[in-house]
Amino acid sequence: MGFQRYLNRESRDRDLAEEIQSHLAHEVDANLARGLSEAEARRRARLRFGNPRTVRERVWIYRSLPMMDGIFRDLRDAWRSLRKTKGLTIVALLVIALGIGVNTAVFSVVNTVLLQPLPYPDPQSLMRLVLFTPQRTLDGASVPEFNLWRQQTSVLRDVAGYDTGGAGLNLTGGDHPMQVQGVHVTHDYFGLFGAPVIAGRTFTEEEDSPHGGNVVVLSYALWKQRFGGDTNLVGRTIQIDNTPYLVVGIIGADFVSDNPADLWIPYQFDLNTMDLARYFRVAARLQTGVTMEQANAQLKLASDQFRREMPTAIRPQNHYGVIPLKEAMIGDTRTPLLVLLTAVGLVLLIACANVANLLLAKASGRQREFATRAALGAGRWQIIRQLLAESLLLSLSGGLLGLLLGYASVRLLLNVNAGGLPRVGENGMALALDLRVLLFTLGVSVFTGILFGLVPAISASRTNLVASLNESSSRTGSGSRSVNFRSVLVITEIALALVLVIGSTLLVRTYLKLQGVDPGFDTHNTLTMAMSISGGRFQASAPVDQIIRQGTERIKAIPGVIEAAAGNGLPLQGAFGMPFDIVGRSNGNAPTTGGAGYYSVSANYFESLKVPLLRGRTFTDRDNASAPGVIVINEAMAKQYWPQGDPLRDRIQKAPGFGGPFAEPSRQIVGIVGNTRDNGLDHNPFPTMYIPLAQMPDGETALNSRVAPLWWVVRTNGDPHAVAAQVTTALREATGGLPVAHIRTMDEIDSLTVSRQRFNMLLLTVFGASGLLLAAAGIYGLMAFSVEQRTQELGIRMAMGAQTSHLRNMVLRQGMILTIIGVAAGIAASFWLTRFLASFLFGVEKWDPLAFLLTPLLLSVVALAATWIPAVRATRVDPMTALRFE
Amino acid sequence: MARNKTQDAGEILQGTLDLLILRTLILGPAHGHTIARSIESTSENALEVEQGSLYPALHRLEDRGLVASEWGVSDNNRRAKFYRLTAKGRKELAAATGRWRRMTRAIGLILGESNG
Repeated sequence: MGFQRYLNRESRDRDLAEEIQSHLAHEVDANLARGLSEAEARRRARLRFGNPRTVRERVWIYRSLPMMDGIFRDLRDAWRSLRKTKGLTIVALLVIALGIGVNTAVFSVVNTVLLQPLPYPDPQSLMRLVLFTPQRTLDGASVPEFNLWRQQTSVLRDVAGYDTGGAGLNLTGGDHPMQVQGVHVTHDYFGLFGAPVIAGRTFTEEEDSPHGGNVVVLSYALWKQRFGGDTNLVGRTIQIDNTPYLVVGIIGADFVSDNPADLWIPYQFDLNTMDLARYFRVAARLQTGVTMEQANAQLKLASDQFRREMPTAIRPQNHYGVIPLKEAMIGDTRTPLLVLLTAVGLVLLIACANVANLLLAKASGRQREFATRAALGAGRWQIIRQLLAESLLLSLSGGLLGLLLGYASVRLLLNVNAGGLPRVGENGMALALDLRVLLFTLGVSVFTGILFGLVPAISASRTNLVASLNESSSRTGSGSRSVNFRSVLVITEIALALVLVIGSTLLVRTYLKLQGVDPGFDTHNTLTMAMSISGGRFQASAPVDQIIRQGTERIKAIPGVIEAAAGNGLPLQGAFGMPFDIVGRSNGNAPTTGGAGYYSVSANYFESLKVPLLRGRTFTDRDNASAPGVIVINEAMAKQYWPQGDPLRDRIQKAPGFGGPFAEPSRQIVGIVGNTRDNGLDHNPFPTMYIPLAQMPDGETALNSRVAPLWWVVRTNGDPHAVAAQVTTALREATGGLPVAHIRTMDEIDSLTVSRQRFNMLLLTVFGASGLLLAAAGIYGLMAFSVEQRTQELGIRMAMGAQTSHLRNMVLRQGMILTIIGVAAGIAASFWLTRFLASFLFGVEKWDPLAFLLTPLLLSVVALAATWIPAVRATRVDPMTALRFE
Repeated sequence: MARNKTQDAGEILQGTLDLLILRTLILGPAHGHTIARSIESTSENALEVEQGSLYPALHRLEDRGLVASEWGVSDNNRRAKFYRLTAKGRKELAAATGRWRRMTRAIGLILGESNG
């Protein structure tokens, strides 16, 4: 057996021919020996043997793979046929490349974000610890909760806490301080994620306890960049915020940390604390053999027990549990990505319909070719096979082109705007062109090739032999069936394109609405920047207040600056949450009156941002540590908690029952300010409290300083970037050399908050436009074809005295009938499909009248324009040429 | 009118040509012409080898590794391709012969021949 039977067919055939000659010679010899004449001997030998060619053919065929042979021949023929119609081939190729390109692009994102496993050992068992509430799932954790989860050793192991964002830290001790991303972690963090240690070790449990000393683990990148890859660095100390830290280890380059980090510092939690602030995340591994359900059941039991010990920690309807870490990281990006994938699927379908149309047009000009082939004995299957080979050759080449196009464009796109996608790395660097993407593209290519090739192939193979051969002209012989087929395809294209365009119109309207949302303050001419204050000297409120006073004073001296302030957060970026009580009001069954976002801010914070003051007063320099405690609330809080009464008469107890670093007396409400959209422009403002930074409990300031930077706000009377360098210098001088990072204008932050919507809108608009263009090309192609086909008929009509306007309208009417059917189908489909877009819409109904009226109109106009050219051409038909048209 | 294949039953039963070729080659290497002649004469001319089948069969056997071939010079002093049985071919011949005997016996029983 073996494969060798297929090899060297030609040389073995020559061998066989010689062998046959030898056989015949022997036969002649034998015949001569029997006394026959020379001529008779040869004649008989040949007669006896039969046709040597037949024998050779039998062996030849036995040595061939009939399938493969056929495929090679078909591909060769396909190549010839495609080259013969270069223009059509190139157009088809581009259409397919576009269709497959957008699919490859979106799928490569889906693959990286949704499909690829997390880059850690045994990723399925990695879980995020969460609090399930009836409304949503929260992933913040407090130290007592962390401690509780750590004790659930029957279901969890390697329970590790880490910063949500990561505090900026200042690497000092060099020529210039440098702000780096430092992430606080508990000592189990590295084991949990299987981080490779290339030098030294990670933190011990002792080092991760209170007073465990200053130790640090460095990332590979920081070690290389800042310390030149010094192999003796482990065991030495480096300066962080002017404090010596012992370098205990270095992590390998290929470790992708959940939060991007330059270095890691132990949290050093006091596990006995009653501090219930949730400010970090916790992940863990399921114990071997434990399912997620078992872990959740156990954690629910633990929640009930915990509630008995700390009644304020967790409401009766809430309980702890786990969700897969991957799910937690993907978050709410799944649906938008699937919507985009559907959209590109539609683009691909339109592209397929388009190419099928082109091939049908081509095939109808080839009726005689197929009829001739059929007459020569080609079976129906052989003709289908050859046409499929053509379409597959087209789709595979288009797929290759699309792969390159798609990959390049998605990299470009993510580089410009990553749209807040998780897991794609910085500027989409993590996007990989892996086997799955390649297989996807291959699969889509083959699928497309069969999809757009099958209809023309089947229709061509149905050729009526006699009729086709008898046709006097190749132009009139394509019959009405092919036109019907093509009409259906064009209607489909229009309907699909309309769905896409309606979808993108809805997203564009959403985006415009978001742009029109008042963020609640003046984003123009506002510069912001972050300053890490994690150093030892900022573990109390007074020194923080001190640098703010000094800093704002210096900044205000810069020409062009109107006002300056600082706080522990900025509008639009989300705030810490904090429960509160209204003093003297009953809470009913609830542990507290409610919860609100809260900021600690300096004097002039509202003035710098131009947040309007509605009642009372804002903070001044006099609201210092020795002054009576005051608090400002926003309008949403006033409306929700004082529907009738007057908030300015009441006092607020922040963090009731928290104790520890949060313990403080109640505060008088002194002012009500306007709402800012801190949870994104598309969410209603939520209740928010503002507290003078100078009046913060020291312990809370210390905690804030460790996990979040101090944000500076500078209002200018011109381009904010113009003063950025001077502000940076002023702050460095005022703070004894602290650097700043994330220098951005408020307009830039505003634009970042809608980056995801912009991302979705941009993509869907591109897809919608592609669909529209393809559909227009489709209807143009069909009408042009139909006019050309009817040249004779048109010529006769004209010769009989038909008005040119009448002829034009006839073609226009035909095109518009197709358009109207397509539009009707598209509207019906959109009515049903836009529900899936509902969660992305803001300020726009899913059946937005504008989108559902204007878009079909737009599409009809485009279709009319596409029909116009062939229609006008119909009127230019010269009767004489038309009648001679062969 | 010399021969009438269909009635003579001189046509070799489908699938038995391989067996006959292998059996012939056990006497020593031979070229195609000799093999055909040998089969015909051994069967007292009862069987006729259709030349058109012989060479495809030989090539098939060669591909299966049951025979090996080599160009040489025949008794007539002509160039000819000689086939010889390989070890694998010998094994196959034994097995095929056994199969054949069992089958002819079974067919004989059905046709009601006394076992002789």
